[in-house]
Amino acid sequence: MEQLPRPTLDSVTTIREDGSRRFVYPADVHGRFTRVRRVSGLFLIAFYLALPWIKVGGYPAVFLDIADRRFHLFGFTLTAQDAWLLFFLITGLGFLLFFLTALVGRVWCGWACPQTVFLDHLYRPIERWIEGDAVQRRALAAAPWTASKATRRIVKHALYFAVSAVITHLFLAYYVSVPELWAMMREAPASNWSSFAFIAVATGALYFNYAWFREQLCIIICPYGRLQSALQDDHSLIIGYDGRRGEPRMTVAESRERGSAAPGGAGDCVACSRCVSVCPTGIDIRNGLQIECIGCAACIDACDEVMVRLHRPKGLIRYDSLNGLAGKRTRWLRPRTSVYSVLLLVGIAVAAWAFSTLRPANFGVTRMVGAPYFVDKEYVRNQFFARIVNKRTEVGRFVVTVVRGPSDLRQTGFSGVVDVPPLGEIVEPLIFQQPRPDYRGPFQILVSVRDEAGKFHLERQVEFLGPDPRLLREEEEEEASHGGTSR
Amino acid sequence: MNPNTPTQPPEEPLRPHVYDGIREFDKRLPNWWLFTFYATIVFWVGYWGYYEWLHVGPNNHQRIEKAIASIEAEKLAATASTKLDNASLWQMSRNPVFVEAGRATFNSICATCHKESLRGVADGGIGANLRREVWIHGGNPLDLYNTATNGVLAKGMPAWGPVLGQKRIIEAVAYVLSYHHEGEPMSIQPAVAGK
Repeated sequence: MEQLPRPTLDSVTTIREDGSRRFVYPADVHGRFTRVRRVSGLFLIAFYLALPWIKVGGYPAVFLDIADRRFHLFGFTLTAQDAWLLFFLITGLGFLLFFLTALVGRVWCGWACPQTVFLDHLYRPIERWIEGDAVQRRALAAAPWTASKATRRIVKHALYFAVSAVITHLFLAYYVSVPELWAMMREAPASNWSSFAFIAVATGALYFNYAWFREQLCIIICPYGRLQSALQDDHSLIIGYDGRRGEPRMTVAESRERGSAAPGGAGDCVACSRCVSVCPTGIDIRNGLQIECIGCAACIDACDEVMVRLHRPKGLIRYDSLNGLAGKRTRWLRPRTSVYSVLLLVGIAVAAWAFSTLRPANFGVTRMVGAPYFVDKEYVRNQFFARIVNKRTEVGRFVVTVVRGPSDLRQTGFSGVVDVPPLGEIVEPLIFQQPRPDYRGPFQILVSVRDEAGKFHLERQVEFLGPDPRLLREEEEEEASHGGTSR
Repeated sequence: MNPNTPTQPPEEPLRPHVYDGIREFDKRLPNWWLFTFYATIVFWVGYWGYYEWLHVGPNNHQRIEKAIASIEAEKLAATASTKLDNASLWQMSRNPVFVEAGRATFNSICATCHKESLRGVADGGIGANLRREVWIHGGNPLDLYNTATNGVLAKGMPAWGPVLGQKRIIEAVAYVLSYHHEGEPMSIQPAVAGK
């Protein structure tokens, strides 16, 4: 049976010298962080999976309706025109990540990342249930293939696959809604070919990831894990081993032999390797901060358990900064966190402003294709299309008026109140005419749309164009001199 | 003992370069990583062979052409099914389904200029009067259809074909025709052209 080699800083424990994969079999661990993580993890899973089912304002809490390009988020309905808000959402999350990582290290990885959450609270418990604890799992892996081993493995992988399929289906429900998903599931795969292919590939990928790949994703693939290493400094909260207190490490027996001779000579670490055996990424936290550490806090609970049993103070391995572990002061307020928090605040302010500019409708006025203006006997005429997009889930009643323009300007189209269906849009002609003698050159018109209740309004400026006024005057004079008979 | 010093001496060969005091081991890549790398090469060979070398698969240009062709075929099929001539348009103008659909389109779009009464200038509107037997751009059903589809750009009548699509234009024409009847006396007076 292969035992884990002593983890070093020079190589990745989970990859052998020949490049093949070495599986880790993390031991069971109990303690306060494990307990809180289990509760928060199960809550997160329930939250992720419940989102498509909970209705807010008549739509699922999260429904990214790609087909109709409408995005329902907790009662908000965003349309394709609001896509620019994504910029603030993504940069906002980015700044939040910067700030949190500088302050408290990789809490995201250990506590909230779906990779960790699903692995630690769904897949590992299944494995533990079918194959037993770490010792039994390692023994089973090394055992020759028997009917019993095959049965366990088949049951385990079937369950993995089923869980992966459920997660993938609910993930798809984010995009198509639950009733639509259910309708598609009852049809033959061929009738929803692309969705079926997506589900099949995504289920396979999830299954592979959680059944085999696991920590390799965090160590080698995830750019976010790497990025965080660059965002931390000696004051960031990490999970670390207090070498000043723990070293020189020696077993209880060793310290009894030597410790009596030199009291205080023995460190608190009893070299039990519990912290190594519980680590899901196969590192020895006592070697210091390492890129593999996802901050799951399993080693804290493992070490605390041993310390309590030995009547020594807890926290030999603990959440602390590198400075704190070295006995120096941890500064929370420092240039890095200040800059990140300023960036975050600016981001939040701009995002809040951006969201406050969201209106329940969109309004656009564009000139019709063709000549920019028309002149007849009485009027100079400009023709536009006005488009109103109702972003609410109820019928919108809108009024379109000119708020700034010459008093003799005549508006045709959009007379009275127009109804726009829920989440619908209308495009109708909007025509302006100015009496010909009054035309003195191009001018701006400010057109506004407001809802009937007067709760909001949007304004758009368009230019009223016409011929050179001198030509109009000449023509008028000519007409007058001919007594209007020439035509 | 400093916890940050390696617990084992490096047994791997070190690469010669040093950057900021950081040295690099010459370790073997993970096998799964190498596998994905080789898999992409295999995929490339297949992909390149399929699209670029043997030209089995369609290129983007061909794909677009094919999509356009199928759209045009669909359009043609739709046109072929609605036989477009004066007689059929008259027939549609007596069909309440067409007329009702046309009324909706007309009142939301055309009525801006031609008024809901269809009387246009005679009712204070901008567009031509569509109730009289005197027409400006031809009064045959097909003339109406062509005027609506292609517009009269000099007069400000936009080309509605690309905006509304053939179906809605046919319906609107049927609605206008429902105020007329086949064989009524008809004259064309381009001189009064919307003024």
